[in-house]
This record gives sequence, structure tokens and C-alpha cells, in this order.
Amino acid sequence: MSGHQELDEDKRGTLDRALLWRLVRFARPHARQFVWSFLVLALVFALELAGPGLLRGAIDGPVGAAIAAREFEGAAFEPQPYVRELWWWAGAYLLVALLGFAFRYLEVAQLTRAGQLVVHDLRRRLYEHIQRLDVAWFDRRPTGGLVTRVTSDVESLAEMFTTGLVTLSFDLVKIGALLVVLFWLDWRLAGIAVALTPVLIGISMVFRGGAREAHRLVRRRLSESNGYLQEALQGIRVVQMFGREKLVSQRFAGHLSRYLSANVRTVLLFALFFPAIDWVVTLIQASSVRFGGTRIAQGELSYGLFLQFWFYLAMLLDPIRELGERYNVLQSAFAAAERIFGILDTQPTLKSNLRALDGPAPAPLSGPGHVRFEKVSFAYGSGPEVLTEVDFEIPPGHTIALVGATGSGKSTIVNLLLGFYEPTRGRILIDGVDLRELDARAWRARLGLVLQEDFLFAGTVRENLVLERAAVSADSLDLALEGSCSRELVERLPGGLDAPVAERGATLSTGERELLSMARALAGSPRLIVLDEATASVDSATEARIERATHSLLEHRSALVVAHRLSTVRRAHQILVLHRGQLRERGSHATLLSLGGLYARLHAMQFTDEPLLTSTDPLTSSPAR
Amino acid sequence: MARLWKFFGRFLRHKRPLFLGFLTIPIAALLDVRITVMIGEALDRMRGASDTEFLEGLFWMVLLIALVRGVFRFLQRWWLVCVSRYVEVDLKQDLFDQLTRLSFSFHDKSLSGDIASRLTSDVENIRMFLGPGLMYVAGALVMVPAALFTLIGLSPWLTLSMLLPMLAMGLGIQLLTPRLHRHSTAVQEKQAEISHIAQESFGGIRVVKGYGLEESRARRLERVSAENLGHQLGFARARGLSHAITETSHALTFLPILLVGGLALIDRTLEVGALFQFIDLTFKVFWPVIALGWMAGLYPRALSSARRIDELLGEQPEIRDPEQPTAPPRIQGALRFEQVEFRYPAAAAPALADIDISVAPGAMLGVVGPTGAGKSTLLGLIGRLHDPTAGAVKLDGFDVRRLELATLRRALGYVPQDSFLFSETYRDNVQFGSPEPLTDASVHELVATAGMAQEVARFPAGLDQLIGERGVTLSGGQRQRTCIARALAREPRVLVLDDCLSAVDTETEARLLENLRRAGSGRTLVVAAHRLSTVKHADEIVVIERGRISARGTHAQLLRSSDWYRETWRIQQAREELLAS
Ligand SMILES: Nc1ncnc2c1ncn2[C@@H]1O[C@H](COP(=O)(O)OP(=O)(O)OP(=O)(O)O)[C@@H](O)[C@H]1O
Ligand SMILES: Nc1ncnc2c1ncn2[C@@H]1O[C@H](COP(=O)(O)OP(=O)(O)OP(=O)(O)O)[C@@H](O)[C@H]1O
Ligand SMILES: [Mg+2]
Ligand SMILES: [Mg+2]
Repeated sequence: MSGHQELDEDKRGTLDRALLWRLVRFARPHARQFVWSFLVLALVFALELAGPGLLRGAIDGPVGAAIAAREFEGAAFEPQPYVRELWWWAGAYLLVALLGFAFRYLEVAQLTRAGQLVVHDLRRRLYEHIQRLDVAWFDRRPTGGLVTRVTSDVESLAEMFTTGLVTLSFDLVKIGALLVVLFWLDWRLAGIAVALTPVLIGISMVFRGGAREAHRLVRRRLSESNGYLQEALQGIRVVQMFGREKLVSQRFAGHLSRYLSANVRTVLLFALFFPAIDWVVTLIQASSVRFGGTRIAQGELSYGLFLQFWFYLAMLLDPIRELGERYNVLQSAFAAAERIFGILDTQPTLKSNLRALDGPAPAPLSGPGHVRFEKVSFAYGSGPEVLTEVDFEIPPGHTIALVGATGSGKSTIVNLLLGFYEPTRGRILIDGVDLRELDARAWRARLGLVLQEDFLFAGTVRENLVLERAAVSADSLDLALEGSCSRELVERLPGGLDAPVAERGATLSTGERELLSMARALAGSPRLIVLDEATASVDSATEARIERATHSLLEHRSALVVAHRLSTVRRAHQILVLHRGQLRERGSHATLLSLGGLYARLHAMQFTDEPLLTSTDPLTSSPAR
Repeated sequence: MARLWKFFGRFLRHKRPLFLGFLTIPIAALLDVRITVMIGEALDRMRGASDTEFLEGLFWMVLLIALVRGVFRFLQRWWLVCVSRYVEVDLKQDLFDQLTRLSFSFHDKSLSGDIASRLTSDVENIRMFLGPGLMYVAGALVMVPAALFTLIGLSPWLTLSMLLPMLAMGLGIQLLTPRLHRHSTAVQEKQAEISHIAQESFGGIRVVKGYGLEESRARRLERVSAENLGHQLGFARARGLSHAITETSHALTFLPILLVGGLALIDRTLEVGALFQFIDLTFKVFWPVIALGWMAGLYPRALSSARRIDELLGEQPEIRDPEQPTAPPRIQGALRFEQVEFRYPAAAAPALADIDISVAPGAMLGVVGPTGAGKSTLLGLIGRLHDPTAGAVKLDGFDVRRLELATLRRALGYVPQDSFLFSETYRDNVQFGSPEPLTDASVHELVATAGMAQEVARFPAGLDQLIGERGVTLSGGQRQRTCIARALAREPRVLVLDDCLSAVDTETEARLLENLRRAGSGRTLVVAAHRLSTVKHADEIVVIERGRISARGTHAQLLRSSDWYRETWRIQQAREELLAS
């Protein structure tokens, strides 16, 4: 939560231009969509220009002529011809307006289409990239924050591609074109607008620096508070049982108040920005009246032209005023883009993950899958060494058991075998090939896996067991249910295999979750099965049944079994005793017992009726009895 | 609307800025109209005028008015948008507090990612509607009458004919609203789905990678993202129509100005200055009118958001404080289950039935039984994770439902089976259990009692070690022991341990039980376990099978009376013949 390493490695130096360029690269495959968008925008603009032109034509044409004629002819004035001509102008105006309807529709539909196509691609890429990153990278990051990347961050990019990038660049075209048109209509009047346009753009620029920072902060704070919310929801049981609702509420309040103060900054910026722009706009308008008025009085300027000018001025000022709004979008999109690129730029450090991105084809996996740990040492990040020179083999068809005190490094060995982390020293060989050179996904596809901290997906039981693996057939599923003794469980659930599973399997008991994880591992007919405390919460009778049932299933497969309960490992070909990261003893159950070392002691602890808790213990004895 | 007004009540908590903010709206709007009128009148004075001095005065006047207008517009945005942000934060806080109060029957059936994203977008919808939205509407409600009043004075017919396109626009947007709403809802749903997929993939990354699910998860995301794309495009088409309608009606407003205005000019019933006022006020009025249309578009969304939030806020936590709680002087720790029955909502059969147990203060109760028998459910009843559907659970003779939740839970130390930890520092996680701040010495003592002192000493950052989400950087057994330390930190009268030594090796378990025994004399202990050695010395052990007590007694008695117990013990104690070998 609060202490998490900053999610976004701020790259303050990143130039907007560099960022923009990268974004444009994403848009390139859909270049055609964007060309269409520009075309539609150009047509809309042309129609927009035509409207006031017609208005001026009418006023300076038939209307002006009629007014002049009336003054000249007096009572003999016949308005009919002028009125008829006015109707023609009006008809033309109507036509332009109706044509505009079609193109305006296309403007939004087409622009959104272009933006959404890009964003759909980007979301996919980003998601796939995140999935490829090292497990160690995930260890340090709150899930909530990562989710924000592929949801709201990506969505704010969508807006950028539509309202932001395309409209903005076209707005610049518009501003340029209108300045030219104004100049062409009347260069003296246009002079004022041309002179003041840089002032307006200057205000936008100054504003832009502040807005960027502010938006970045808002997004970060929002994602932090959402992350906290999610974690609190997941730990709700603990929060309530410990009566700490107030505490988490206060922490959330802390997140919210940081979010609020970041937001207030953006509000202030925008509150200042819009009136400032509006004032300069009024300055331009007032100056045109000031100077235009003098020239109207002198008869150098027609009313029609002045009105047309006024229209075009409004058309010019609209996009300039909107620059702020567009920046609003663009800024928040840039802030999001930075965070997204921050992730896309994060490369996995593990060789196998790196290769998944691009690189030489991994060594093929074809052998029987003989696993060999060669003097493997390992430390998590810069932490203390967790494993020291671990040496062992899993020959094909053998079951190897791993026992040892809690925290001794058993799960770490599993993590290494899966290629989640790489050894700091030493090698792990599969059929003589370094695991780092292999295709990690192909390797893992041969494994059946029950992790100590397992995870069920929301969905149905069947979906969780099959996991869209091609190797799982109806038969293998059947065998797996049998082998994990979970048939009874599944039959008890409403709907059987199609029974719903809640998020993380919350509505199942812990042991039931373990049974399903076991079934899932067996269903893929794995070559090597890895069980990390797979039956820690399963009752012994079921456990023994599983042992018997899986015996035949596992006959030709290798297995690595981690367990505290020694009864579950007796059948192993070899038992490895791990102590503080070192392999202290190895051998079969009988040899280890006769050795009289660590294993024998563990064994004695577990199976001797030692009076650990006698009824005279103050803790357990009841004073009432 | 009534529903939304209720939320507006939250805005009213910030009376001053709200009131002042709304006050600035008419002032700014009237000043804006004034500028147009001044320029329009000046235009008529210009025709053939020899003296253009007055233009100079006009110029400065307009700039001054614009400056004042700017100040008011600044204040308007500053006050009103800030208020909407305060309300947003208030509302989120209330929702958060409500979520932490709701019982598990609620949380079990909802996805946490879904709630989080809904909370964000629903609150934003309401904020937009009642905050900036109302600000624009209020602006329109002042601007439109003020402008119409000015224009009707100039030419009633022209004013009326100008209104026609605007009315057409209102009608068109109204017709489009259901379509807009439908698509935007679909988009929202798809986005929640995307968020859910990401949530699960990133949260369960080890399983995803371990099973090589990257591709299938990515395909799934792609599919939903493509569906999202489809709805986005549908939404864009609807928005395109509404955009076309507004813009076209904007353009069409100038048609009567051209035609009716032109005819009037020819007839000399209208001056050019008046025509200018029509044109400029149309510019100024039209955007507020569009804002009205925009609000109409936001309305159904805001309404359904308000309904959802209302529902959430109105949801009564099933587990709540009694109206008239009894206050026992000091909790002794005597526990009784009387004819307890419990059924999960929508479950076919009860998870527990006919449960009768009593535990004297300071005694130890062992709960054993096969997987899924109902042990955790039973333990959850003590701290009211859920309430029995029949019968009662009593603490010191008081029904737990009659005690204040705070009192009840203060007396309990609960160690959940899934050993959930927060992604904070190690210290914060232990501290979480204790209502009072703990000194470093006492944290170390607790950690030692939980048998983790050595391992904590090896952490690079000591007690300040960050332990990752759900404690991923700890080993399974370390997580469990940290949870025990957390529970001990509250010095509970009743300690509830739900199979929390399963990932701890036998040696550590023995040490730990020894420690627990020494640490809390007179403390009632309820322990669920699969390893019978854990509960062997309990004063009473109940065997639960399929939600019913199938046998009870001490270890020695159960070995005689319960088949299940004997068989389990035999399996776990298969050492005799082994040692002989
Ligand atoms: N992701 C990680 N980052 C940093 N340290 C870790 C991580 N995972 C485990 N550790 C540390 O490595 C050590 C060995 O942990 P490991 O999980 O391998 O133990 P284990 O033998 O499986 O124990 P248990 O029986 O309790 O599951 C522990 O001290 C633990 O705190
Ligand atoms: N939240 C829930 N909603 C619906 N059913 C549930 C829920 N939690 C548990 N169950 C069901 O109730 C039964 C009892 O579950 P419980 O967790 O009490 O078992 P348990 O004895 O603790 O098992 P384990 O030894 O595996 O921990 C199981 O069949 C389980 O599927
Ligand atoms: Mg482990
Ligand atoms: Mg349980």
C-alpha cells in the first residue's frame, strides 16, 4: 500500500515530442483511418467556412442592394426581386447546413473508430507485456495499480487519439487557415487577431507546464487510493474480525485527501486558464470593433464583411479556447502514456522472459525431462542468501520429497524449478540443457503444479480445471477427479462441474480449494508434478486416499513433493532435508532414520507422543474442571 | 430526480462556496450579454457617423466588463468545481466505510475489482452531473432568458423562429438518449470485465505463468477488449448523431437570421446592429443550451449510478450492533454453542446443524473433521463473521448478537485459515492487531512468541521490511506465524486458530504451542486442525462431519468412540510399524 515502491518511474526528462512520436508509431498501422478522419475534418471545415460566406453574400448582396435601392427609388421601390434572391441564398445556406449534418456525424464516428482501434491494439500489447515480466517484478507491485494501466490509463489514451491528437493537430491547421482567410478578407482588421494569437498560445503554453504535473499527480493518487480500496476489500475478513474498520478508514481518508489536494490544483489551473483566455478573446473582438467601426463609418468596410469577419473570428477563437480543453485531455493522456511506456520499457531480467519478447529461438524440449540442480545458490533481490549450493536430481519417473523447517527455502526451490527466478549461482539443467536456455512456457506446460498459495479464478469448476489447455480431455479430467479425490466434492456442488467458483474460490473451504488445485494439476497429464504443501489443509484420510489414487497416476511421471507431514513423503525415492537453505541429508526414509540426524529428529517430533501439551498446562487446562 | 437531489444534499454541506459560486453565475452571464448589446448598439451608431470618439470609450468599457466577468468566472469554477471534488471525496469515504461494514454474504457474491471500478465511475458520474453539470445548467438558465429578453425586444418573430432549430435539437437529443445510455452502459460493463480479467491475471500471476496461461488469458482479454471496441463504436455512432444534431441546429439558427432578418432589413424594420446582436447572442446562448442537452445525456447515467450507490449505502449490514447491547463487566471467555444451525445463502444443505458445545474460560477446544466439514464456518460464528440461522452462540452467557461488535471482537484473537496480510511493513501488520500503539520491544516479544524472531532478525530492513501484497515475500509458514503474532497483539480472551499451523513444521509447531501456552494463561483457545497432534491435549475435541458433531470427548475417549478419529490417528501415527522396520 503506502510503502510500495513508486509504480511509475517518473521520467521527467521525457520530451513530449518523444512521447508523441511513440504514440504516433502505435497509430501507424491504422494510418488509413486517420487519413479518413482528416479528410472528414477538412470537409466539415470547408462547410463551416461556407456558411458565413453565404451570410455575407446575402447581406451585402440582395439586402444591401435593396436598402440602397429603397433609398434611391423611394416609394417606387419594388422588393420582390431582392426577396427572391434572398430566398436563393437561404436555400444555399440550408443545403450547406444539411450537408454538414452527414459530415459531422462521420467526424465523431470516424475519429472514435481510429482512436479505439489503436487503443485496442495498445491494450493487448501492454497486457501481454505485463504478463511476460518477472515474478519478482510483481512481488513489489500492487495489483490494483497494474490493473489501472490496462483500464483507465489506456482509456485516457483513447480520448487522446480522438479529441487529443487528431482534433488538436487539425485545430492548428484550422487556426492557420482562418488567419490566412481573415488576412485575405481584410488585412488591417486581421492584423489585430494575428498579433494577439501568439499571446493566446503563450497562455496555453504556460498553463501546459502546470497542468502536466498536476494531472500526473491526480492519476497517481487515484490509482493509489483505488489500490488501497481493493486491498482492504480483499482483507475485509481480517479488518472486521480485528475491529479495525476505523484504522483502514483513516488510511483511506489519507489517500483521499492526497487525491483531493492534487485535484484542487488542477481545478485552480483551469479556473485561471479559461477566464484568462476569454479575456484576451474579448480584447481581440473589442479591437476589431474599435478599428472596424471607424472604417465602417468611413464607408470603407461593408456590414456584410464585418459580420463575416465576426463569424470567422468566432471560428478562430473557438479552437484556440479549446486548446485548453484539448490540453486537458492531452495532459492526462500524456501522464497515462508515460506510465504505460514506463511499463513497456521495463524489460524482464530473466533470460527466458526476455527471449519470449524477441531473441533466438529457445532450445527445444524433447528429452525425458531429467532435472538437475547444480550447486544452486539463490537470494531474492538484494536480500540474504536463501539457498546455498543446492545439489540434487529428479530422474525421470522418480519422486523426490523435500522436507525441512518453515522458511528453509522449499518453496524457493519450487520457484526456481518453475523458472520464476533464476539462480544467483549454479545451474538448473533439464536433460543437460540449462533451464535459462529453454522455452520457459514449453517447460512449464510439461508440469503439473500445486503452489502453496494457490489461486482459483472466478468462473466455473470446469473452467478452473481445464484452463483452456489442449492436453485436458474428458478422460484425463475424469482421472484427475478420481486421483485428487475431488469427485465427491464436485458432485456435492450445485451444478457439478459447472458450479460457479467465486473470486479466489472464496466460497469453498481451504481444503476443497486444495483438492481442486490438485485435480487441476493432474488433469494436464504432466510429465513432472510439483506439489508444494498441496494437501496441507486436507484431512489425513483423504490425503491417504489421494496418495493411493495418485500412485498409479504418477508411476511413470517424476514428482517433486514438498511437505511438512512426513507421512506423505515416505514413498519417495529420495527425501531431501533442507535446513536454512542447505541440503543437509538425503536418502530414503529408512536410511535417513538410521542416520539419526535432522530427519530422524523431525520424525520423532511428529510421531512421538511427546507430552508437548499436558493437561496440567495453564493454557489448556480448565480451572473450572 | 428525487434520488439525485438526495445526493445534492451532500453539496449543501459546503454552503458557503456553493452559495457564492451560484451567485457568480448570473452576474457573469449578464455581463456577457451586456457586452454584446453594447457592441450592437455601437454598430448602428457607426453608420455614416463622422465622430468615432465613442468607439474609444466603448473599447475600454468592454475590456473592463470582460475583466470583471473573468474574475466572476474564475470564482465560479473555483468554488463550484472544488465543492464537487469535496463531495466526491466525502462520498467515496462513506462508500468505503459502508463496504468495510458489510458482512461477508455481501462480499462473497461481489467481485472486488468490480466494486472498485464501479465506485470510481459511479461517483464520477454523479459528481459530473451535480457539480460542473449543474453549474452549466444554472449558467444556461440565466443566459437563455436574459438573451431572449434582449432579443424579443428587438424582433419577436425572429426570436421565435430562431428557437425552432433549438427545439428540434432538444427533441432529437431526447430521442437519442436511450441509445446513448444503452451503449454507454455496455461500455462500462465491458470495462469492468477487462478490469476483472487483469485483476485476476496479475493477482494470480504465479498460477498464470506456472500453467503457461499467458496466451489464453491474453486471448480472453483480447476478446473482451474487442467487444468493448464494438460497443465503443456503437456509442460513437450515437454520439456522432447527437453531435451532428447539435451542430446542425446551431448552423440552422442562422438560417432565420439570414432569411427573416434579411427580409426585415429590406423592410427596414430591423437595423444591422440588432442583427449583430442576434448573431452574437446566438453564439453565446447556444453553448449553454448544448450544455443542457449534454446534461440530459448525462442524466440517465447519473441516475443509474445514483441508484447503485444508494443501494450500496442502503444495504444493511446483516451483522450489526444490537439496539440495546448488554455490557458485560469483563469478558471471561466462556463459550457456548446452543443448537446452532447455519446455512450459507443459496446453499442446498446447512453447513452446520445441531451444534452444542460449551467451553469453560481458559479451556481448549479442538475442532477436527474432514475437509469441508464446517470447521471454519463454526469458528467464524464466534466472531460473527456470520450469524447462525438457528440457535445461538454465547460468550460468558450472553448471546454474541446482544454484545456490541466492538466489545465482542475486542475479546477475540482470530487467525484466519488463509493467513491474509497487508502489503505494509512487517511491523504494521503486527500492529494491526492491537488497538493501542505497540513499542518495538513488545512487537519483538510478540514475534518471539509466534516463533519468528530469528527470521525477522534476518530481514534486511528488520521490522520495517515490506512484505508485498498478501505477504508474497514471506514463506507460507512465516505468513501463518505473522498472523498469530497479529492476533496475540490484542491480548485476546479467546484465541481462535483456524488450522493456522498447517504450513509450520512439527518442530516449530511444538515450540509455538509451548509459547502460546506460556503467554496467555487463562485464555480460552479454540483450535481447528487437521493434524491431530495439534489438538490432542485439548480439554474437549469435537469431530465434525458434514456439519454435524459426530463425536466428542478427549483424545483418549475419541480414540475409542470415533471411527474417523481413530482412523486419522492411525494414518498419522503409522510410525509404529515404520520405526520397527
Ligand atoms: N518473493 C520473495 N521475496 C523475498 N524473499 C522471499 C520471497 N519468497 C520467500 N522469501 C524468503 O525466503 C525464505 C525462504 O522462503 P520459502 O518460501 O522458500 O520457505 P519454505 O521452506 O517454503 O517455508 P514454508 O514451509 O513456511 O512454506 C524466507 O525467509 C522468506 O522470507
Ligand atoms: N462463503 C461460502 N458460501 C457458500 N458456501 C461456503 C462458503 N464457505 C464455505 N462454504 C461451504 O461450506 C462447507 C464448510 O466449509 P468450511 O470452510 O467450514 O470447511 P472446513 O471444515 O473449514 O474445511 P477445511 O478443512 O477445508 O478448511 C463447505 O462445503 C464449503 O464449500
Ligand atoms: Mg513454502
Ligand atoms: Mg477451514
